[in-house]
Amino acid sequence: MRTKIFVCVALLVVVALALGACAAPTAAPAAKKKVGLVTDVGGVNDKSFNQSAWEGTQKAAKEFGFDTKFIESKQPTDYEKNIDQFATEKYDVIITVGFLMGDATAAKAKQYPNIKFAIIDNAYFPTKGVAYCDDTKKDCYVDGGLTNVTSLMFQEDQVGFLAGVLAGGMTKTGTVCTVSGMEIPPVVRFVVGFQNGAKWIKSDAKALNVYIPSFTDPAKGKETGQSMISQGCDVVFGVGGNTGNGGLLAAKEKGLMAIGVDVDQYLTYPEVKDALISSAAKNVDIAVYNYLKSVSDGSSKAGVFTANLQNGGVGLAPFHDWDSKIPQAVKDKIKAASDGLKSGSIQTGYKP
Amino acid sequence: MSNTTVSVPQASRLRLKIGPRQLLTAVFAAVGAGAVFLLFNAIIGGQCDSQCVIGTLNQSVRYAAPIALAAYCGLMCERAAVINIGIEGMMLMGSMVGYGVNVYAFTWMKQNGMDAATAGDISRALALGLAVVSSGLLALLHAVVSIRFKADQIISGTVINILAVGLTGYFYRQYLAQNIPPGPGTFPPFDIPLLGQIPLLGAIMFQGQKPIVYFMLVATLLIHYVLFYTPWGLRTRAVGENPRAADTLGVNVYRVRYINVLIGGLLAGFGGAWFTLEAVDVFNPQMTNGLGFIGLAAMIFGNWTPFGALAGALIFGLGNTINTTVSIFRPDIPSQIPQMLPYILTILVLTGFVGRAIPPAADGQPYEKQ
Repeated sequence: MRTKIFVCVALLVVVALALGACAAPTAAPAAKKKVGLVTDVGGVNDKSFNQSAWEGTQKAAKEFGFDTKFIESKQPTDYEKNIDQFATEKYDVIITVGFLMGDATAAKAKQYPNIKFAIIDNAYFPTKGVAYCDDTKKDCYVDGGLTNVTSLMFQEDQVGFLAGVLAGGMTKTGTVCTVSGMEIPPVVRFVVGFQNGAKWIKSDAKALNVYIPSFTDPAKGKETGQSMISQGCDVVFGVGGNTGNGGLLAAKEKGLMAIGVDVDQYLTYPEVKDALISSAAKNVDIAVYNYLKSVSDGSSKAGVFTANLQNGGVGLAPFHDWDSKIPQAVKDKIKAASDGLKSGSIQTGYKP
Repeated sequence: MSNTTVSVPQASRLRLKIGPRQLLTAVFAAVGAGAVFLLFNAIIGGQCDSQCVIGTLNQSVRYAAPIALAAYCGLMCERAAVINIGIEGMMLMGSMVGYGVNVYAFTWMKQNGMDAATAGDISRALALGLAVVSSGLLALLHAVVSIRFKADQIISGTVINILAVGLTGYFYRQYLAQNIPPGPGTFPPFDIPLLGQIPLLGAIMFQGQKPIVYFMLVATLLIHYVLFYTPWGLRTRAVGENPRAADTLGVNVYRVRYINVLIGGLLAGFGGAWFTLEAVDVFNPQMTNGLGFIGLAAMIFGNWTPFGALAGALIFGLGNTINTTVSIFRPDIPSQIPQMLPYILTILVLTGFVGRAIPPAADGQPYEKQ
C-alpha cells in the first residue's frame, strides 16, 4: 500500500515537473522587457535623484509590464562593470543615472548596439577626437555615433533661479548660500541659477558657495553649512545628494531656512522638514517614466530630451508648512520669474 | 644612514617620554600649520576676522576627532605589533550601529511612555555604547585571525573593511534607508567649565564641542600615560619591539596583543560614533569617507605617539576646514585647488617635517611561541 502511494506521489511530481518544463518555454516569447538601472554612488535610497530615477522606473514597470532591477555603484570604477552585468543578463534597456557615468555609458553603448541606453544629466555633443564619437561626425547621436543612447537632460539653472528668488526674498541677513557636491554641470547649473535668482530679486544679496568633491559626505556638508551660516547665511540650498543633505541639517539645527534639491525633500527627508521652505525639483521620475513609455510603444529615439519649466520637467516643490509664512510679494516674484524664464525675457546667466 | 642615528629614536622611545625630536616635530608642525593658515588668510584678503579664525580652528578640532581616534586605534594595535588597516571598517560599523540604535531605542522608549528628553539622553548613551562594542567585536575578529591563526594582518584588515561595507550596506538597506522614525538627534554641544575660560585655546578646544571630541582629548593624555608610565605600557612596547625577549621575561605576548587590539577597536568605535552621534544624525553607506586611513597617516606622522598622532589629526582637520573657508571667500579660485589642500598638507608634512618614521620593530609579525 505504502509503495503504491509512493509511486503515485512520485508520478505526480514527475508530471508536475514535466508540465512546469512545458509551461516555461510557452511563457518565454511573451517575456517582459528587462530594464536595468545603474545608480551612481549615492545609491538608490539617497532621498534624492537616484531614488527618483528608480521610482520612475518602478512606476513604468507597473504600467507597461517591465522586469526591473537596479545595481548600485559603490565607486566610479563600478560603472562599466555594472552595465556589463545587465548586458550579459540580456537586458533590453539600461538606464544610467548621472553625469559622472557619461564616459562609461558611451563606451558600453558602442559595445552593445542592440541595447537601448538612457542616461540622466549627460548629453553627448560633438567634440572632435573624443573616443566615443567618430571625429568626422558632427553629432554623437547621428549614425556611426551613439544611435542607441537617449540623454535625459534638465535645465537645473531655471529651477535653481526660482529657488534663488525664493531665498533672496526670504533672507533677513541678505546672505544666501549653497552646499554643493562635485563641480559637475548639473550642480553648477543649480548653483549659478540660484545665485543669479537671489541677485535678481535682491540686487545686493550675497551668495556664498562651496563645492565639496563628494556626494556621500553629510558630515563635511554640515560643517560647510555651519561655516557659511557663521558668515551670515540664513537660507541654505543643499545641492549634492547626501553631502547637500548635511547642509540642510546645519540650517535646521540653527533654526534657519533650507531649500532641498532634485525631489520634494519634505517628503523624502522629513528630518529637516521644519526648515525646508521648498525644494528645487527636477522630475527625474517623470523623465524616466516618459522615456520608458516611449520604449514600450516603440517610439523611443536617440538624442537629447530636455526637461525645463516650459514642459514642467523642473519646478519648485510646494512650500508645505512654510506656505503661510512666505509673503505674497515673494510668491508673486517667483511667479513673475517663472513666466520670464519661460518666455525667455529673463536669463538664468548659466553659460555652458 | 649610520647605525647610531637609527638606534637613537628607538632607544628614546623606550626610555624618554617626549624627547627633543618629538618636541621639534611638534614645533615644526605648529609653525607650519600657522604659516599655511596665515598664507591662506592673506589670499582670502583679510576677510576672515578673528571670530572667523577661531570658528575655523574650533571646527578643525571637531573634524580632527575621528581622525585622531582612528590614529589611536592604529597606535594601540601597532605598539603591540599588530597592523590594523581595518580601522575604516570598524568605524563604519560603529557609525551604523550608533545611528540604528539611537533611532530605534529612542522610538521604543517613547512608545513606552518615556518623555522625549530622557529617552533621547538614554538612547544616545546606549547607542554610543553599542557602537563601541560593535567596533570592538570586529577588532576581536581581527585579533583572532591575526594572533591566533597568524594570518597576514593586511589581508585580515582588508577583509574587515570589505565585511563592514557589506554588513552596514545590508542593514542600511533593510532597516535604515526608508520609513525610519525620527531620531533624538546628536549629542548637544557643551563647554568645559574652567578650561573653556582659557583665552583663545579655550574658545578653540573647550567650547561648543561635543562629548566624543572631549573624549578624544582625554584619550590622548590617557594613552600617553598608559603607554609610557605604566607596567602595561612597558609590556606593550616590549611586545611590539621584541616579543621574544618579552616572552622570556614572562610577558604573555598573546594576551597583551589581544587586549591592545580590543582597546584599539573600542577607540575606533568612538571615532565611528562621531559620524552619526555627533556630526549628523543620518547614516549612509561609506560615510566614513576614508578617514580611518587618514588616521593611519596621522599615526605615522606622529611616529606612533599619541601627541604626535593628535598633531597629525589636527593638521589634517585644519586642512579640511581651511579649504571650506578659502572656498567661501574666494569663489574665483577653482574649487579643485582648495579641495587639494588637506592632501597637499599631508604630503608636505609627511615628507618635509617628519623625515623617516620608525615603526615598532616587530610590527606586523605574528609571534610564534617556541
